[in-house]
Parts: sequence; C-alpha cells; structure tokens
Amino acid sequence: MTPFVILAILAIIGALGVVVAKQPVHSALFLVGNILSLAVLYLLLSAEFLAVAQVIVYAGAIMVLFLFVVTLLTAGKEEGEPKEQLGGQRWLAGVLSLAVGIALAVLAIRRPGPRIVSGLPRNFGNLHGMGLILWGPDFLYLVGIAIMLLTAGLGVLVLNRPVRRKDARSQRRNEA
Amino acid sequence: MIPINWVVGLAAILFAIGAIGVMTRRNPLIMFMSAEMMWNAAALAFIAFARHWHDMSGQVMAFLIVGTAAAEVGIGLAIIVTVYHRRHRLDVDEISGMKN
Repeated sequence: MTPFVILAILAIIGALGVVVAKQPVHSALFLVGNILSLAVLYLLLSAEFLAVAQVIVYAGAIMVLFLFVVTLLTAGKEEGEPKEQLGGQRWLAGVLSLAVGIALAVLAIRRPGPRIVSGLPRNFGNLHGMGLILWGPDFLYLVGIAIMLLTAGLGVLVLNRPVRRKDARSQRRNEA
Repeated sequence: MIPINWVVGLAAILFAIGAIGVMTRRNPLIMFMSAEMMWNAAALAFIAFARHWHDMSGQVMAFLIVGTAAAEVGIGLAIIVTVYHRRHRLDVDEISGMKN
C-alpha cells in the first residue's frame, strides 16, 4: 500500500502542476513527472511491457515533441493572458469537472467489487503475452492503429507543406 | 497487493484534473498536455482492471491508447504550429475563424 500512496501523491502533484503552471515549459516538466510515476505504478500492477512503453513513447517521444514546440513558439515571450470574454463560464466548467471527478473517485473507492484470488496466468504483462493477443484475436485493432498512425503522419506532412506562391498571393488578397 | 478500487479512484482524480485543465486554461499547449493526462488516466484504469480480472485484454487496450495518443499529439501539434504561423498568438479564444 505504501508504494502506491507515494506514487499516487507524486502523480497528483504532477497533474496539478500541469494545470496550475504559468509557463508551458513548466507544465511539460510536471507532465514528465506525472508520466514517470504512472510508469512505476504500471510496474506495480504487473504491466511491465506497458511501463517500458510508457517511458519510451510518452516520456521519450511525445514529451520531446512537446518541448520542441514549446521552445519554438514561446521562447522568450512573456505575454499575459488577454481579456476574459466568457465571463464566469470557465470557473463554472472547472467546478463542474471537479465535482464529476470527486463523484467518480468516491464511487470507485467505496465499491470494491469481487476479488479474484487465483494466481496470475503465465506471461501476464510481458511482451510475449502481449504479442499473443495483438497478433491473435486483436489483430484487427493493431491494423487499425497502424493505419491511423500512417494517416496522422501524412496529415502532419499536409498541414506543414510549404505554401506555394500563388496560394499565398490569393490568401493575402482574401485577408485584405 | 494494491487494492484495485484505489487505483481506479486515482485514475478518476487524474481524469478530473485533466478535464479541469482542458476547461479552464486557454493556452492550447497546456490544454493538450491536460488531454494527454486524461488519456493516461484512461490507460491506468484499463491496466488496473486487467490486473483485477487477470485478463490481458485491458493491457492491449492500454497499448492501443498509447498509440492513439501518439497520433493525436502529432496532428494536434501540427495544427497548433500552423495556427500560430497565421495568428502569432497562443490563445484558443482567438481562433474563431470557423464560427459563422
């Protein structure tokens, strides 16, 4: 129980830091802390392959991408948030999501559900068991994810293509 | 062994904090990181239930969540960079070009 409590506190501190931090860089660093503590928690839940995948994909690839974009867009800039236009809606939304979270957490903690006492099956949580399912009954999902990642890569290329001169001129005319 | 209901409660708390971030912040980068946190909370719940029922399907779902989050981050950051090149501001309230 004690390791879980420590990891949970670390994860919650990281999550709160992401939301509260003023600079996006600080948010990204807090998010790294959150992700790493979740990865250790996955290890405790005997999901060793996912713990490694979490560290490699999230803390490695995704956070580096985030940090690149943050440094590209907000380097040396210190701008305050512009004037609020939505009135109290933003606070209302925050309070409502807080209420939903508290309700979910209380429900989850107070209803433990039945327990299974038999031992874990062989290959639980390691790469072997994962592959047996991914290349067996769930192969369709794997193909779907592969197509989605390919589409996302193509989409990024299309979004960041260089603007041709004719397009740029017509666009400027549209904006004028 | 960790009691599974506490893990699910932690997932709920993380999901709610992520939702608060998406709702109340205006910087699109921070909103994106909060959305990542919500993905992570969902994956944590899947893994907790996989451990509880001794069934690896939950872990497979969590793996698919990691893949989906990677695709989402790629597309989303590309959109943020493109919008920033046109507007030179990082504020989601400014982006109202698709309204009306």
